[in-house]
Amino acid sequence: MINPMRFSQSKSLWVLGVLLLLSQNSFTAEQFLEKHCVSCHDGAAKKGGLDLSSLKVNLENPDNFAKWVKVHDRIQSGEMPPNNKSKPSEIEKSPYLKSLKESLLKADQARIAGNVRTGIRRLTRAEYENTVRDLFDMPGIALQGLLPADGSAHGFDKNSDALDISHVNLAKYVEAANLALDLAIATRPNPPIVQKRRISLANSGGFVAHILLNGDGVLLKDKKPDPNFPPAADQSHLDEGAHERMGVFRTGSSVGLFRHEDESVSPYFIEHVTIYPGLYRVRTSLWSFQWDKGQVLPSRGTEAARLSVVQLTGDGRGGQHPSYVLGYYNAPSLEPKEHELITWLNHNEIIGFNTASLAPVANYNRKGRAMAFTGPGITVDWLDIEGPLHQVWPPKSHQVLFDNLPMAEFKQAEQQGVKPPQRKQIRQLGAGKNRPDPVTGIWTVQSENPLKDADRLLASFLPRAFRRPVSNEVRKEYVDRVNDRLKAGDCFETAMRWAYRAALCSPDFLYHVEPDQKLDDHSLANRLSYFFWNSMPDEHLRGLANSGKLKSKEIISAEVERLLKDPRSQRFIEDFLGQWLKLRQIAANDPDRGLYPEANPYLQDSMVAETRAYFRELIEKNLDASHLVKSDFVMINEKLAKHYGISGISGAEIRKVPLPRDCPRGGFLTQAAILKVTANGTTTSPVPRGAFVLERFLGEKPDPPPPNIPAVEPDVQGATTIREQLAKHRADPSCASCHAKIDPPGFALEAFDVIGGFRTRYRSLGEGDKAERGSIDPFIGIRFKLGPTVDPSGVMPGEKQFKDIIELQKILASRPERLLKNMLEQLASYSTGRPVAFSDRENIDNIIEKTMRNGAGLRTLLRELVQSELFQTH
Amino acid sequence: MIIKNLLVHAKTIAAYSFIFLIFSGFVLAAETKTKVRIFGLFLPDRENDLRKIIDEWADIKLESIDFKHGEGVFVFDADKIFPKANAGQIITNLDNKLRSASNGTFGIRPLSTVDKEKLVRIEIEVQGLDCRACSFAAYNIIANIDGVEQATSSFKDGLITALIDPGKTQKSVLEEALKKRNVTLKQDQIKK
Repeated sequence: MINPMRFSQSKSLWVLGVLLLLSQNSFTAEQFLEKHCVSCHDGAAKKGGLDLSSLKVNLENPDNFAKWVKVHDRIQSGEMPPNNKSKPSEIEKSPYLKSLKESLLKADQARIAGNVRTGIRRLTRAEYENTVRDLFDMPGIALQGLLPADGSAHGFDKNSDALDISHVNLAKYVEAANLALDLAIATRPNPPIVQKRRISLANSGGFVAHILLNGDGVLLKDKKPDPNFPPAADQSHLDEGAHERMGVFRTGSSVGLFRHEDESVSPYFIEHVTIYPGLYRVRTSLWSFQWDKGQVLPSRGTEAARLSVVQLTGDGRGGQHPSYVLGYYNAPSLEPKEHELITWLNHNEIIGFNTASLAPVANYNRKGRAMAFTGPGITVDWLDIEGPLHQVWPPKSHQVLFDNLPMAEFKQAEQQGVKPPQRKQIRQLGAGKNRPDPVTGIWTVQSENPLKDADRLLASFLPRAFRRPVSNEVRKEYVDRVNDRLKAGDCFETAMRWAYRAALCSPDFLYHVEPDQKLDDHSLANRLSYFFWNSMPDEHLRGLANSGKLKSKEIISAEVERLLKDPRSQRFIEDFLGQWLKLRQIAANDPDRGLYPEANPYLQDSMVAETRAYFRELIEKNLDASHLVKSDFVMINEKLAKHYGISGISGAEIRKVPLPRDCPRGGFLTQAAILKVTANGTTTSPVPRGAFVLERFLGEKPDPPPPNIPAVEPDVQGATTIREQLAKHRADPSCASCHAKIDPPGFALEAFDVIGGFRTRYRSLGEGDKAERGSIDPFIGIRFKLGPTVDPSGVMPGEKQFKDIIELQKILASRPERLLKNMLEQLASYSTGRPVAFSDRENIDNIIEKTMRNGAGLRTLLRELVQSELFQTH
Repeated sequence: MIIKNLLVHAKTIAAYSFIFLIFSGFVLAAETKTKVRIFGLFLPDRENDLRKIIDEWADIKLESIDFKHGEGVFVFDADKIFPKANAGQIITNLDNKLRSASNGTFGIRPLSTVDKEKLVRIEIEVQGLDCRACSFAAYNIIANIDGVEQATSSFKDGLITALIDPGKTQKSVLEEALKKRNVTLKQDQIKK
């Protein structure tokens, strides 16, 4: 077999190499490298850090293997030899590439043959949490925060290389299992009493009453200032406690706020502090207005308010950032709009509020306070909270564990020698006015025949929890555990709890257990559900696996459609985009307030919502791969529309909006979220952005920079542009070749600032011209100036010139198969938990070919992927 | 025979006991009038607020209010509603009951021992929002100063008044206390 990679500048080694390793074609290979490569890649020049003269042939060495793959790919794509050198003819190139490919393939297949493709891997934190949620039908139980952060390998935390396990993980799994079982097991004969409470935003113990006293908001009655609470003026109101005692905030008046959440103000509806985790109905009534020194007038448009969930900690005083956002809700001008949602709330969680669309304004210490203020406000009439809501009792979570066994009060006198189940005391933090129900004894499940029931219950639970059939022997081990505990004096519930906790901490639950080669039906069901739902299979999918029908092409296709249609597929979208497009890092830095004063949490959350909605749109409409980089529509709300300079959009909801002609948006690259995660909060650089495009859209991960090369620091004082600085950097030959590939897409993206705003000139805090306000809210102060002009032009490898982002989008979109191939590799790596190997290339080419033939749509790509050997092998 | 006699005696005893209980009941149920100082009467319309609260109570009546002196007469059967309480505790218990029912905006104190003739009425002009709760806040500041026997507060009228025991306090003390809690005095406002 030929091995064309052996090359040495040293004649003796070269001859030895020829003798030992090369076939009759080797001379051709040597000649090829000698003629076209070695002048730049020998020990002296070592361009791009590659020294072919010292590169060993040993393909079992992963580093060597990777280098030879790169040699193959660069020659195949025509990138090498570069344009300023003589290019090899096809007659020279083809045999060399063919033999090189065969050698690489052989080496890769030999590597794979001795090992499973996807290494054993545990559930990620997200997978763990989702699995417990679905297993017990507790859709909001929060467990991720308990577990150590996952690592990441090959771009995803699902990769087996990143999913090691330590004693810390194990300890935390025990803790998480205990928490899940605490919540899942019913401890009372009847559900907690449903409490319904109407809460004013000026509720006692919150921040809002205090700022109302000082003019950051007003109490309104019939859309006029409440006569019992005149707006703060030159004098503020005195003594919050006196106002609370006089009942000022309990008259049913609405709360109109001018102030935005900030470091010192976090509005909460703190009169409800969740005692019983579960589903709660939340309703609120919102409207907006223009305040004019005591007058309530129609507002400038529909404003947006944010509802969030905040976890109280410590002494319950709050002051925490939102744990998660429930949503952004419209507040139309002078027309109260009621919003309702049902959400899961965990113990000691409360509902938070923010006047999301308003600019940060504070009248607190300003002369004249509210009576001197003219500007927008958002009114909260009230917030109702009702729950916990249970459709059945005992809840489904309990039935998963104890089916229909009756509950009875545990009476020690009647059960001599049996230890009662442990019950945790409920501790409510903060100023909640909801109260726990009276405790009426210790209630627990009863079994007339404990071991028989244990066997029956575990026979149902274990296959669900382990996501595949469980042998009688394994089940018996768990039943024996129950028996041991019963003998030790535990009651039935406690004894079963031991077994359930053991199951939830066992490798069978914590790991993806897959057969060595081709996936069986159950492994396939798991792979499908952890791909599209990031969680365990549901009953339907398990049923198909049990019946052995899942591998039918028609059934897999139908399942893909069903899984994608299910709301749980949003988990896939969020988890995949969080990693592929780095959306998890959207809040990694705060934009500089001087340079980007318009940045705020509403804009940031809208950015993420756009990217997720866009990806969903691509899948749902099966849009072709060119849409990854170019489209004639965007998925935006009013906030983003203003940010993008698109008029006529009102409201907080994300919707599909056609793009005006010549608008520099469309596709992922020009989305604000992508532009933010590729910037540092102060400046942009073509290098990280260009590298992002290469790695995540074109599938060409750039090499890391050589050691001891200082980073290029952009100049915020506006004296020089990043392009000018990079020009010096690129003059260095050791940098030039890589930057010739990396920088061009980054240059085009220089047309967008760190928060994704379009620009023709850089913002500067030093030199520059006075900046126009543009779409920036009039209540936001501007101190930045306009510095040097942005030059978004560049030349892509292959001499393809572009003058701006629109032309770059056209260049990138002109090769959908390249975009599709990268997309496939990303999806395959994410879904299988392993990187795509050299020997997968044939599979990949087949999938791409089929997808291209059928319109190059992303949904088609997903269908073809899951039908492929790539997906269905371990 | 013995049993029959016992039954006759039992009936007689029961009859006498019933009569005794009725009599003693009259005696036990005797309501007394108690005159006290009332905390929280900082505006004339606070009388209505107070009456609304007391009207909810079955066992205690508010017979009269002397707004000028911040006093009132309550009628109740102390033994019934505060059993085992002595005279001092009765006032404390009544205070607790009223504070609890009024969110701490009313309270009861024993009558002043200072001769009314010796009290001095002072007036402090203030500036602020026309807000009852703010008036209560200002009232709360001065009503708790030792030597202040009665006070009113109205930001609508821009006036705080107090009857003070000059042996214990003086106007400047009240003014300082108000300023310290961000109440704007009119004289200061003019100076500015």
